[in-house]
Amino acid sequence: MWRGTAAARLLLRACASSPVLQQHTQQLLPPLQSACRPAILLPVTRWIQTKAALRSHGGGQLDEFGIATGAEREELEAKREGKKRFDLDPPRGPFGTHDAPAIVESHYDVRIVGCSGGVGEDEHDVTWFHLEKGKPYECPVCSQVFQLKVTGVGGQPGHDEHH
Amino acid sequence: MKKHPFHLVDPSPWPLFTGFSTFVLTVGAAMYMHGYQGGGIVLSLGLLMVIYSLFVWWRDVVREATFEGHHTTPVQLGLRYGMILFILTEILLFAAFFWAFFHSSLAPTVEIGAVWPPKGIEVLNPWEIPFLNTVLLLSSGASVTWAHHAILAGNRQQALNGLILTIVLAVIFTGFQAYEYIEAPFTISDGIYGSTFYMATGLHGFHVIMGTLFLSVCLYRLYNYHFTKQHHFGFEAAAWYWHMVDVVWLFLFVCVYYWGG
Repeated sequence: MWRGTAAARLLLRACASSPVLQQHTQQLLPPLQSACRPAILLPVTRWIQTKAALRSHGGGQLDEFGIATGAEREELEAKREGKKRFDLDPPRGPFGTHDAPAIVESHYDVRIVGCSGGVGEDEHDVTWFHLEKGKPYECPVCSQVFQLKVTGVGGQPGHDEHH
Repeated sequence: MKKHPFHLVDPSPWPLFTGFSTFVLTVGAAMYMHGYQGGGIVLSLGLLMVIYSLFVWWRDVVREATFEGHHTTPVQLGLRYGMILFILTEILLFAAFFWAFFHSSLAPTVEIGAVWPPKGIEVLNPWEIPFLNTVLLLSSGASVTWAHHAILAGNRQQALNGLILTIVLAVIFTGFQAYEYIEAPFTISDGIYGSTFYMATGLHGFHVIMGTLFLSVCLYRLYNYHFTKQHHFGFEAAAWYWHMVDVVWLFLFVCVYYWGG
């Protein structure tokens, strides 16, 4: 909105014409881009500049996701490509056998996995176990075979740089 | 690289500071109400500290969400659950004071003349200002819905118009209530009628003011491009809260003003 920037300009012009503030400015401030900007107004002008930046940003250079950033943007970009950035759903697939084990992806070399059996009548209470790299595991209840596929950095799960 | 969509918040001083502020507020309120020296000062200080706490805490939430992008879909879902549960607690809070109202008004005691309204109470005509206030709040519910649809459609100007209209209607409502409070022929000290009337409508008025502030913050954020067509939960939360306030008023109008008059 033009009102914001006009007000800022008026404010600066008013302060520039004020003799007291001008004196004060010359004493305190080293050369600035705009010599008529008194120190006390700096936070205000910074805020107005940020607003102007946001406004001009909204003026046409944004993509379909607007001002989205960080994890939210990653989520939106993946969704646009039909993928999921953060997949919270339990993995589903054909029943794992020794010849064709059920593949479970993992960031590290070991992951906690729960087997709930097959479909319908073959379903059982979830049985939990550690699935380790290079050691295919057979579910003690239904004998479904699982194999770990390391898709991340590997190693032991531990303390992350960021959570 | 983050492997989960959840927001593990960075260490923040605001929860502890808010707790400390509410402590100062409570101690100040107790001091003031019991006539201790300095009570007013401590109460005012506590009030300012709490308001400051709310400001800095929620400012950080906006920073984390809008400017740092931490509010992924699961995070938003959690916030939705949270807001709904909070509104539920507010409804239960009002239920308590409606209970008190019905307890006294359904079986009026002999001391007040065994009638409701009690003998000697000059009740307000529900079809004057209270009915106008009902129309104002219902209209504000419609205008906030208009604003929401405008946001969904990406229509910035209409969204701003709808939200501004909502806030204006809310302020007019508050103005009329204030006028009623000043001009009413009975006070909070006028027996059980005064107590139940002002407790219920006063608590409601307080919620109207909070809702108006919430909507004003949304107006500021809407104006500054924080919301997108898909992601504007802050606005939705404010609109939900506002609808709750509206519904509570409808109950107040029917039970306290109309039936109770």
